[in-house]
Amino acid sequence: MAALVRISYVCHRGVSPLLFRSSSLIRPLAVQKDRDCPYHLISAKIHATPSNYGSGSKAASLHWTGERILSIALLGLAPMAYFYPVPAVDYTLAAALTLHGHWGLGQVLTDYVHGDSKIKMANAGLFLLSSVTFAGLCYFNYHDVGICKAVALLWSK
Amino acid sequence: MALLLRTVARQGLCSSRLQLAVLYRHAVPMGTTAKEEMDKFWNKNTRLNRPVSPHISIYQWSVPMMLSISHRGTGVALSSGISAFALAALVLPESYPHYLDLIHSMSFGPQFLAFSKFALAFPVAFHTFNGIRHLLWDLGKGFKIPEVYRSGYIVIALTVLTSIGLAAM
Repeated sequence: MAALVRISYVCHRGVSPLLFRSSSLIRPLAVQKDRDCPYHLISAKIHATPSNYGSGSKAASLHWTGERILSIALLGLAPMAYFYPVPAVDYTLAAALTLHGHWGLGQVLTDYVHGDSKIKMANAGLFLLSSVTFAGLCYFNYHDVGICKAVALLWSK
Repeated sequence: MALLLRTVARQGLCSSRLQLAVLYRHAVPMGTTAKEEMDKFWNKNTRLNRPVSPHISIYQWSVPMMLSISHRGTGVALSSGISAFALAALVLPESYPHYLDLIHSMSFGPQFLAFSKFALAFPVAFHTFNGIRHLLWDLGKGFKIPEVYRSGYIVIALTVLTSIGLAAM
């Protein structure tokens, strides 16, 4: 009965405030219901999105989107590298590959490394590795044959 | 209003046995973030030196599980390879064509060369195709279990075919 009252309350206010409030992670709950047992109003603790607090950061969300966009860009670079093996593609490939790898390894570290200082050290090491990788690839592009040509040469034998 | 009617209709279908009903909870945001909760968990449990329950050692492996860890494995391997290449470029004295000629002069058999190309192409192809599968999930597509398996098998097939094709080039 109480649930019906609540639902009618929702209906009165309209569904839109419910849908557009970022804090409402109100999800339907399946409960065992005995016909004789009355409905219980249960309060559930949820993790609301930080943006709901007003001062939250969208950094994680933007990072996620950035990762996907970079992946799509990398997909597009592959045929470019084959058909147009020019320096512009070489350097773009160097940047995209390094960043994609950096972010990917970052996720691996986040999954398996725990503890504040360990996380900091691991991320510092990763940053160093990615910097050296990018430097090395740029050096190779500048002083040597370049990534596209290198793959082509390797495959020519 | 429709919500009310649907719920009422559902009530009407109740029989005398126990039924599942759908209720909407009153939601209360917590004071801590999910990250804080997770850190609390790990801090407490590592401090108490508690053993971790067996998980990957006992859970039955499935194709999607294997594809998932392979995606991570190939990603780490490829990234390491690129880093190793970049490091070599910085450290080694000679140019790339010099080292390539060195490999040429070792006169490996054609089958070995073809196999090496296959071995190089395979992780790239797999990570690429499974990556596309991931991007489709990010768009919200293909989450039903049969779809997950189907897309997984397609990834495997495409990977093998592409690797063979690239090795033949």
